[in-house]
Amino acid sequence: MTFDYLGVLFHGLTAVISPIVFIQSRSYLDTETVRQYRLYHLGLIALCMAVTGVYYANNAAATWIFLEATTLATALLVYHRRTVRSLEATWKYVFVSSVGVAVAYLGILMLSTAVSGEESLAYVQLLRSVATANPLYMKLAFLLILTGYRCKMEVFPLYTVGVDANHAAPAPASALISTALVNAGFVAFFRVYQVLTLSGIYSWIKSVLLLTGILSVLIVAVYLRRTHNYKRFLTYSTVENLGIVLIGLGLGGWGIFAALFHLTIHSLIKSGMFLQMAQIGRIYRTYRMNRIGDYFKTYRLGSLVVLMGTVGLLAFPPSGLFVSELIILKELVAGSHWAILVLFVLLICLVLFTLSRRFTGLLLRPVHSGRADISTISRAATWLQFALLLTALVLGIVQPQRWIDFLHAITVGL
Amino acid sequence: MLFALIIVYVVTLVYLAITDRFRNYASLIMLQGWVLFGVVILQLHAIDWAELAFVLAETLVFKAIIVPYMLFNIIRKTGVARVHEGSVTGMNSLLLFITGLLVSAGIAYYIADTTVNVVFFAVALYAVLCGLILITTHKRIFSHLVGFLVIENGVFLFSLAVGVEMPMLVNIAMMLDILMSVLMMGVFFSKLGERIRNLTSDELTSLKD
Repeated sequence: MTFDYLGVLFHGLTAVISPIVFIQSRSYLDTETVRQYRLYHLGLIALCMAVTGVYYANNAAATWIFLEATTLATALLVYHRRTVRSLEATWKYVFVSSVGVAVAYLGILMLSTAVSGEESLAYVQLLRSVATANPLYMKLAFLLILTGYRCKMEVFPLYTVGVDANHAAPAPASALISTALVNAGFVAFFRVYQVLTLSGIYSWIKSVLLLTGILSVLIVAVYLRRTHNYKRFLTYSTVENLGIVLIGLGLGGWGIFAALFHLTIHSLIKSGMFLQMAQIGRIYRTYRMNRIGDYFKTYRLGSLVVLMGTVGLLAFPPSGLFVSELIILKELVAGSHWAILVLFVLLICLVLFTLSRRFTGLLLRPVHSGRADISTISRAATWLQFALLLTALVLGIVQPQRWIDFLHAITVGL
Repeated sequence: MLFALIIVYVVTLVYLAITDRFRNYASLIMLQGWVLFGVVILQLHAIDWAELAFVLAETLVFKAIIVPYMLFNIIRKTGVARVHEGSVTGMNSLLLFITGLLVSAGIAYYIADTTVNVVFFAVALYAVLCGLILITTHKRIFSHLVGFLVIENGVFLFSLAVGVEMPMLVNIAMMLDILMSVLMMGVFFSKLGERIRNLTSDELTSLKD
């Protein structure tokens, strides 16, 4: 294990988000049996431990082991409701994730073949020998690892299992799955990316990432309009943001900084939104869009959180996502990636239109309000969500130098 | 001898394409387990004896005995005998598998050099392709499970190629099997069996946009 800047950044985020998830889960699970309650918390604790292992692992094989462990923990959370729907989601998640990590392991084996002569797969040792490794093997290893880790990062084409898992899992658990787990997938991939920046195939890798990123945004632009469930809607938004992160990595240089910035802010916004969605689900007893509305009148504080989250996800100033997306746009222009730039702007506009339309409907569209019941809602929990989103918005206006230096420390040498 | 075992392994993969009975699938997975046991003996004989004994025991107990036993158990429990419901005919399936073999051999030949064991890589790649073909062309969830096991065995085979230098990688590949296969078959599959009668992917459609 190595306590480096990258690990500390994402562990710090998990340390902020997970206590709020635990607190809100208490009120969310008030009808569960003691056994279900224990199993749920076992799943949450196991997930936190596994992602922490991924953040700090300094060896490709160890990273893979911890990532595999996240599948087990997540399966426990997704299967919590014991319904046909949760069973289906768990089966799909376990199955596709297992196939994904098996393929990623094939990539790690390929990597070990490419750097034959090294005694282990420690990232430090890989960095030493990657420059002289066979480029063809490195390309194969990269493709296999990227393919496998996509199911954890929730990007094209293996994002579907993440969408289904978040749909079936209790909403507070979805807050952790959509942030801590997705970040773990990113860290696992980013460690390999860091190693391969020193190889001769770096420009090829950047092209692959640009393509994967733009395809992820494209898929979201199409499917976001078709979904009628707010939890799936938020998960598609995660796919979009991770697509943007991959585009940042694909640009290199400042794009990497923007990717890390974007992921940090996204974690704060998305966790806040999922936790708020848990409360909306309790108030309306559903997540279906056509049965939820007029939230502004129903619960003012909650609607303020939704409003802040919407501004955050739309990347409108003062959202922190505005800063990272602006940097990415500047890098696209600087790198003369005109086709990607045009496509990116068009798709983002489409996504933003759908996002604003759906969340405006949630806040203002009149529905039959007889179903809404806010008597069991914890205002303290809503204030915690408010704090998460406020942090994300404040970081869009004021970026402390220490934090910027911290992000730069991760990108040193890239 | 090693080459002969690899050939037998490839034959089991091709045979998967033409068989349509659950029992044959389970038997082929068992045969693969025994073949892999033989490959471990021949390929890793140079590593530390304690590590070799551990890997051998894992391979024998888990791949050749426990996994096939669980598969036969599922067959008894679900009572469904045939593998697929005609989404792809046997002939087309065979053609797909042979195409996969040619593609794998072509890729392995293209990347061949001294640092990678081409035979192991080609067969592992073929196993992964076979597993993916099984998963995508069959409707029955049991076939998907067998597809996953085929992929795992392929990955394990490739780990044996690099296992002489890094025996730890073989152990990790085995851990993948133990963790995920047992989870899927032992606990989860029995739950699916209780709730979804015919066990086809067509019934897994309650999660929609």
